[in-house]
Amino acid sequence: MTAAPEEIGEGIVALLPRLRRFARSLSRNQHDADDLTQVVVERALRNQAQFHAGANLAAWMFGIMKNVWIDNRRAHGRRGEVPLPEDTGEHPAISPVDTQATLWSVSEAMSKLPEEQRLAVALVLVEGLSYKEAAEVLEVPIGTVTSRLARGRAALAAALSGEQKGGLA
Amino acid sequence: MNYDDETLMAYADGELDDALRAEIAAAIARDPALGRRVDAHRALRAEVAGAFAPVLQQPLPDRLVDAARGSATAARTRGNVVNFPARTMRAPSPPWRAREWLAMAASLVLGVLASWKFLAPGSDGLVAVRDGSMVARGALARALDQQLASEQAGSEPILIGLTFATPEGHYCRSFSARKVGTSGLACHGSGEWVIPIIDAAPPGDIRTASAPSPTVMQAIEARIQGEAVDAAGERAARDAGWDAARP
Repeated sequence: MTAAPEEIGEGIVALLPRLRRFARSLSRNQHDADDLTQVVVERALRNQAQFHAGANLAAWMFGIMKNVWIDNRRAHGRRGEVPLPEDTGEHPAISPVDTQATLWSVSEAMSKLPEEQRLAVALVLVEGLSYKEAAEVLEVPIGTVTSRLARGRAALAAALSGEQKGGLA
Repeated sequence: MNYDDETLMAYADGELDDALRAEIAAAIARDPALGRRVDAHRALRAEVAGAFAPVLQQPLPDRLVDAARGSATAARTRGNVVNFPARTMRAPSPPWRAREWLAMAASLVLGVLASWKFLAPGSDGLVAVRDGSMVARGALARALDQQLASEQAGSEPILIGLTFATPEGHYCRSFSARKVGTSGLACHGSGEWVIPIIDAAPPGDIRTASAPSPTVMQAIEARIQGEAVDAAGERAARDAGWDAARP
C-alpha cells in the first residue's frame, strides 16, 4: 500500500525542520542547505509510489538526501570541498543563524570530513539516529557506521579543540 | 582492562548490549581515565548536536513548504480530515482557506516551541532540548510515564491519545496539552520520552480533547507498526516501564 499524496505531502512538511537541519549539517551554509532540501522534497514527491505507508518517512527522506547530496558532489567535482571565497568575511548566502559561532565552527570542521564520515556524524550526532537506523539510511553494515563515526568524531574533536587553542592564543 | 575507542563511543551513545554496558560501567568506576574518555565523546556529541539545533526553530522558507505540498491544494484540504472520517465535510472549502490555515498552523508550531522554551526553561518545563532533540520533562514526562488514556477523566492538563509500537520496538504516545494549545508525539527510548514532533492543537471543534492534530497523525502513520494498543496493552506497557515492545 502506498501513501496517498496528501498524506505524504503533509508528512514532509512536518519533517522540514529536520530535513533542513540534516541538510545544514552537510552544507556550508543555510542557503545551500535549503537548495538541497528542495531537491530532496521534489524527488520524494516524484517517487512517492516507492514509499510504503507504515515505513519511517524520516528515514526514507534522509536516504534520498544522502543520495542527492552524494550525486551532487560527484557531479560538481567536489566543489563543496573548496572553501568559498571569503574576501570580505561576509558572504551573501550566509543567513543570520550562521553567525552563531558554534554552528559556524562545527560546520567548518564537518566540511573537512570525508563525505562518508560526515554522513555518519550528521545522522547519529545531529539527527540522533541509532547506529542501526543510520546503517539502514546509508545502506551499509552497522560496523561500518561505527568505524566511520569513530573516525569522524576523532577528526572533529581534533579540529574543534585545535580551534579553541588557536582562539585563546 | 582497556577498551578501544569505538567501544567507549558506543557506550557513550547508549548502543551497547546490557552485558557489555554493565562491564564498562564497572570498569569506569575503577578507572576515572576511562570515564573521562566517555565524557569526551558525550561532550562532542552535545556540541555537534547543539550547534545545529537552532536550525529546527528557524521559520520554514515558503519555497520548501510549497514544494512539499506540490501544486494541488484543493485535494489536500481533505488531508486535514482524512483521519476523522466521521466528519464528512462534503462542501469543498476554497483552497486558499486551507492554505491560510496550514500556514497559520506552521507558524503556531514555531510559536509554541518558542513559548515553551521561553516560559519553561528550567527543570519545571514540559520540554527540554538535549542533544538536539526535544525530550519531555516535568508534568509531560509524568503523564507519558503514568497516565492511561483509558482512565482519563478528561480534565487532566495533559491528555494521552494513542499508544503504539514502532517497527524498531519503541513505544510512542500522542499527547495534547490544551492549556498551551499543543499536541505532539513522544517516543520512549533510553529511559526518556523523545518528542519527534510537536504541533498546535487542532483548532475549534476537535472531536475529542485528546485527538492528535493532522500533522501529528501523519507522524504517527509514518511510525506505527500494526495497530495502536488497547487499554490492556497500554497498562501492560506502562507496568513494564515502556521497555522494548517486541511486536
